[in-house]
Amino acid sequence: MSRFQRFPTAPARRILVCRAIAILVSVIVVSLLLAMSGRNVGELAHLVLTSTIGSRFGLEDLALFMTPLLLTGGAVTVTRRMGLWNIGGEGQFYLGAAGAAGVGLFIHGPAILILPLMALAAMLCGMIWILLPALARAFADVNEIITTLLLNFVAGLLVYWLATGPWRDRVTGALASTERLPVSIPDLWGVVHWGFPLALLIVGGLAAIMSSTRWGYEVRISGASAGMARYAGMPVRVRIISAMLLSGALAALAGMFEVAGTVHRLQGGMADNFGYLGIVVAVLARGSCLAVIPAAFLMALILDVGIVLQTQQVAATVVLAITGLVLLLVAIADECAHYRVVTPATGRTVRKAS
Amino acid sequence: MTRTFPVLRKNALLLPERRRFLKGAGSLAAGGLLNPLAAHAATPILSLPPVKEEDALVAFGHTGPITDGGWDTAHDMGVQAVRKAFPRLRTVYVESVPYSADATRIFRQFVAEGANMVLGTSNYGDFIKDVADRAPEVAFLECDGTSVTRNLGWYYVTHWYPSYVIGIAAGLMTKTNRLGYVGTFPIPSVFASANATLLGAQSVNPACTMQAVSTNSWFDPQAATQAATALADSGCDFLCGITDEPAYLRVAESRGLKAAMWNLDMRRFGPNAYVSSVMLDFAPFYIEQVRARLNGTWKAAGNFLTMAHGVDRDIWGQTVPENVRTQADAMRDRILAGYSPFQGPIRDNNGAIRIPAGTTMNDMAIYQWDWGVQGMTGLG
Repeated sequence: MSRFQRFPTAPARRILVCRAIAILVSVIVVSLLLAMSGRNVGELAHLVLTSTIGSRFGLEDLALFMTPLLLTGGAVTVTRRMGLWNIGGEGQFYLGAAGAAGVGLFIHGPAILILPLMALAAMLCGMIWILLPALARAFADVNEIITTLLLNFVAGLLVYWLATGPWRDRVTGALASTERLPVSIPDLWGVVHWGFPLALLIVGGLAAIMSSTRWGYEVRISGASAGMARYAGMPVRVRIISAMLLSGALAALAGMFEVAGTVHRLQGGMADNFGYLGIVVAVLARGSCLAVIPAAFLMALILDVGIVLQTQQVAATVVLAITGLVLLLVAIADECAHYRVVTPATGRTVRKAS
Repeated sequence: MTRTFPVLRKNALLLPERRRFLKGAGSLAAGGLLNPLAAHAATPILSLPPVKEEDALVAFGHTGPITDGGWDTAHDMGVQAVRKAFPRLRTVYVESVPYSADATRIFRQFVAEGANMVLGTSNYGDFIKDVADRAPEVAFLECDGTSVTRNLGWYYVTHWYPSYVIGIAAGLMTKTNRLGYVGTFPIPSVFASANATLLGAQSVNPACTMQAVSTNSWFDPQAATQAATALADSGCDFLCGITDEPAYLRVAESRGLKAAMWNLDMRRFGPNAYVSSVMLDFAPFYIEQVRARLNGTWKAAGNFLTMAHGVDRDIWGQTVPENVRTQADAMRDRILAGYSPFQGPIRDNNGAIRIPAGTTMNDMAIYQWDWGVQGMTGLG
């Protein structure tokens, strides 16, 4: 009798097919629900397509959404290869934005000098923010999921404090923020700034580092089996710390891009969950740095569709539920891809022969 | 009735003294837009071409859920009034527009869908201005905003007058002389609201002080409940605030305290605690602005909705004594007759005189208030 059996690995093509089915199923479910609530699904679908991938305006928005997602997704992926979870992307994002804003607000000079300085300051701040969890993980085996997560709240409040306290611009209305930064990342295409191609390059570079440097090799081996890596003489602790620092720097760079490219002021709430969404991107990318690009695209598309649906009077909570449904079905699809139908006929014949 | 500040006079404190429109002044359509100040504003303002009602799309971005029972419900009532007044007009709205780059996306999407007029019911600052600058054919209005460009204006309620009136009731009703204020962010509209309430209370009870807490959110009932509980624990027996929803009224009701609210009549959430509310009514203003846009007469400006024309105190709560009502309403009548209680000397919470004797704070000065008055802690 044949039965389903779970295999420890799943081929990429199988996963892709399962995910395509999952997305199709979620589209059908959402369409049915929208039709049942009396909406014209055809019109809505047309609008969603033209407002996202079907128009220059939509593509610009997608690229803007993708820019921070590429970096925060890359940040989580780096630690995934090490077998760790950096849940603190949100906090490192905030610290990066704060560091960049600090340089932008208080050091004046030509943009060509200030922007790289802002990026450096941002990455440094992100690394400082993850240093404590990294050391605690490497030397005391403290679970990095908890430490990085909890520091997010500290970082969020720190930015609120800066924006409502010492760095406050006293003319803003409903939400306290700093003054507008005097420098910004130049626009490349409509509202898309140079951060987008840079983020793509960085993710590409990350993939190259992971697959073809000694450091990447050691990180991957340490992630696969710390014991074996230690036996092979690899400095596992140093790799844990360096991978986590790199991760913090990437998430912080996303914060710098956001503050210098799109928001232009430091303010509470500006991270827009990009740190947490980076975790989703990394899960979708399944630990592959290159796969972060399509995963970030899918996430950006979902977020963008959400905005279009909201302007069509679908409530924000419904949009959140739709996002959840898509991701749930994709997660189920990923698991399904591990199962294959097995016919244990061969087993029986072997027994008979003996 | 609204007062309109034209583009070139945007620069805050240089504005002329408050002007009041008294009884019988014109119809809605004649409102702020046809008033003489706006009329001779010099030219970079260019009016947008008229749109037929059936072809027009007006979009609203709300800061919270329209079911919050407060700020966003008040704005939504304005939207409904617009729908009623212009039955063939298409209106759309988005709730819970965050103060982040997502706001820009939502406003951009409105423009892409062909909106002729976009209203943000909160101060989205650069997030709305960036979109407005790239969409010169669309009229933008921002509540609590500060910038006026050729196609972006702002509007706000002068809530400090009813707050002062309610403050008088607070000063008379408090027994501990400690008022609690559930604040959101340390920003001018919050300073104006808290300061006005405290000054009103001190005008009848000089021993009054106010303890303020910032929750870092306009809509976070849980944080507001915690803040209100902490204020009650520290001895405050009269709560007021500026949150978008009624959470702290429930705390006041369950602790046997008094509370003054804002936005709407919220007495059903705490009938014994309820003193009054700063009532908002955006309907006439919204109808006037949309009509102007359709007629092609809309011009970007800053607009204050004045006492009894968009903002007022609510009918007093059932537990407010008669003498308190009379004393507070006497001030309301004076304000309606053109009096401003915001006269120097006013000291800040370090004791320094900030508004010298003989000086009156005009609405623009109050709108940009960024320090706490004497007796205020936790704000400024």
